[in-house]
Amino acid sequence: MTFVDILLVLLRGAGYTLLVTLCCSATGLVVGLGIAIARELGGSRLAWLLSAIVYVLRGIPMLVLLFLVFFGLPGIGIDVSPLPAMMLSLGLIAGAYLSEVFRGALSAVNANEVLAAQSMGFTRFQTLRLIKLPQMLRFAVPGMVNELTTVLKFSPFAYTVGIAEITKQAMALVATTMRGIEIYAAIGLLYFAIYRLLLFGVRLIEKHYNVPGFAQE
Amino acid sequence: MALLEVKDLVKTYGDRNVLDGVSFVLGEGDAKVIMGPSGCGKSTLLRCLNRLIEPTSGAIIFDGQDVTRPDVDVRALRSRIGFVFQNFALYRHLSVLENVTLALTRLKHMPKREAEERALHELDRMDMAGKRDSYPAALSGGQSQRVAIARALAMDPRVLFFDEPTSALDPIMVREVVTLINRLYLDNVTILCVTHDLGLAKFISDRVVFLDRGKVYAEDRIENLLARESDPVIDEFFCGDG
Amino acid sequence: MLDDVPFFADLVSYGPQILRGLRDTILLSVTITVTGLIGGVGVFGLALSQNKAVRFATQSYISLFIGTPLIVFLFLLYYGLPSLGVTLSPFTIAVFGFTLNVAAYNARYLTIAYKGLEQAELESARAQGFSRFQVFRLITAPQSLRMSVPALTNQAIQNVKDSSIVFLIQYIEFFAQMQEVASRTFLFFKTYAFTALVYLLLVSVVVLAARRLERRLAIPGIG
Repeated sequence: MTFVDILLVLLRGAGYTLLVTLCCSATGLVVGLGIAIARELGGSRLAWLLSAIVYVLRGIPMLVLLFLVFFGLPGIGIDVSPLPAMMLSLGLIAGAYLSEVFRGALSAVNANEVLAAQSMGFTRFQTLRLIKLPQMLRFAVPGMVNELTTVLKFSPFAYTVGIAEITKQAMALVATTMRGIEIYAAIGLLYFAIYRLLLFGVRLIEKHYNVPGFAQE
Repeated sequence: MALLEVKDLVKTYGDRNVLDGVSFVLGEGDAKVIMGPSGCGKSTLLRCLNRLIEPTSGAIIFDGQDVTRPDVDVRALRSRIGFVFQNFALYRHLSVLENVTLALTRLKHMPKREAEERALHELDRMDMAGKRDSYPAALSGGQSQRVAIARALAMDPRVLFFDEPTSALDPIMVREVVTLINRLYLDNVTILCVTHDLGLAKFISDRVVFLDRGKVYAEDRIENLLARESDPVIDEFFCGDG
Repeated sequence: MLDDVPFFADLVSYGPQILRGLRDTILLSVTITVTGLIGGVGVFGLALSQNKAVRFATQSYISLFIGTPLIVFLFLLYYGLPSLGVTLSPFTIAVFGFTLNVAAYNARYLTIAYKGLEQAELESARAQGFSRFQVFRLITAPQSLRMSVPALTNQAIQNVKDSSIVFLIQYIEFFAQMQEVASRTFLFFKTYAFTALVYLLLVSVVVLAARRLERRLAIPGIG
């Protein structure tokens, strides 16, 4: 196989890598926001329950949760296909971490602005939607970027449930060509390149939505 | 022979001469103050003398030895100079006592007990022995500066350098520190102090080295300098924004 | 719960190998935490070097390891080294690979803490006559370490969880043993739920220890 052939195979895998990364990140975002909002609006018992769930999700290895979902759930009657299994493991864990990021970002919102909104007569829900969330999202950018890159770095484990992403392609290639060092070094650099591209993409989006006078990290 | 002789000291950054040929002498037991408008190079001058900043050219004769030469043991030089900084620079992760004993045990290799005795002696001199186990964060500005002075004195230096010792203090603490440095001055400790505080200068020195744009503009007793009302540069400094 | 009895009976019968696996997980986690910390301090020191080339190489190393998946590097070592004639045990490969990875992260945390240090204190130490190495050993490193305790203990927790990936390079630790138990008993859900619980307990132990450590090591007066 020529170098170009190898590269093409790996790039096909890259498509799946990006798919997994984006799906799990999206899940994480939705879950993280959901938990953060529920904590804000719900009562103290709900908050306690959510904290416990977050603690558990942050305390178990991603692979263990993945195996539990993919191999375990069928045993109790729930069949899960590979991508949803990734979303229910890596995605949920990302959601737990993001909920913590959002919790910190929410507490960084200027208390005076919240007071001003409340004294104008906005409900808790409106204050949340119009004042807290927009600011929180901007404060949370560094944490969200960090979590996105973390999801990317855990995406290789998708191969254990059969998704044909980069690492799986690499393993197949090594098996046929026996060029282990070159291929794994190559995918290392490939992941690094995707990592830098993601960072760059985020910076571009950040610049687009930049609000004058807002604190930058 | 004087303790410290500075001859034509030059320090260039890019195309600018921050120090443009500074010369003065500091004898043993002398106390001199370096004053001048912002940007005159006084902090740079102090840092060149213990080679925290490398001079571009010129000679610095300390205890008979030209310390600008490359083969000089710079660390040994520095341990003979006590340096007190504007923001005290106490090691915040160490207690007051540990701050003072650190150099004694690690540089002079004193045994711990001897180092602590020496440290407590200097802390006592600065009225800070009672705070030996406190940490810098718990001290006021005046207390911190006193510990900093004790730390400098503990090494038994040949001279004490002060870099704006009162600039970070409020007026009450300034008086506190001025009194202490005055005591050292009266004890004949050799002092070189950079400051823009005229009150401090009057209490702790005999002569002022007035620096302007990297050169020694004048050197004289304070009263004489203040009397030179007709001199535009001196007048501007002391009466303009002084 | 009655139908759990067979599961617990299975656990007991597989007890010895499960415990062996647990021991190996703990062994690996502790080892890489220690080596990763020591390595991290060393890399941190290099990142502060006066030499521009050394600084650049160090930053590149840190960037590279933070930006690539750990498992890829482990595969590189595990599948690649034999073709160079080097044969190492999975444990050695794991320790080597993890150390390089963890050290990079720890060095990054220490560097972040370093930016919060008071530079005047470092200048003062130089003015007292301490060498650069002494300033690092007596002031820079102690302060940076104590200010990074939350991040460093978080990394330790991560190490416990990440140790579960080494079964992929044939190091048989706790998760690997539990996979075998699952495949033999076909009680996948219960087995993996139990596995998750055990990791949760291990992590909780570290969390408790971390909180105590944070209290003890916080620099008095500084947040």
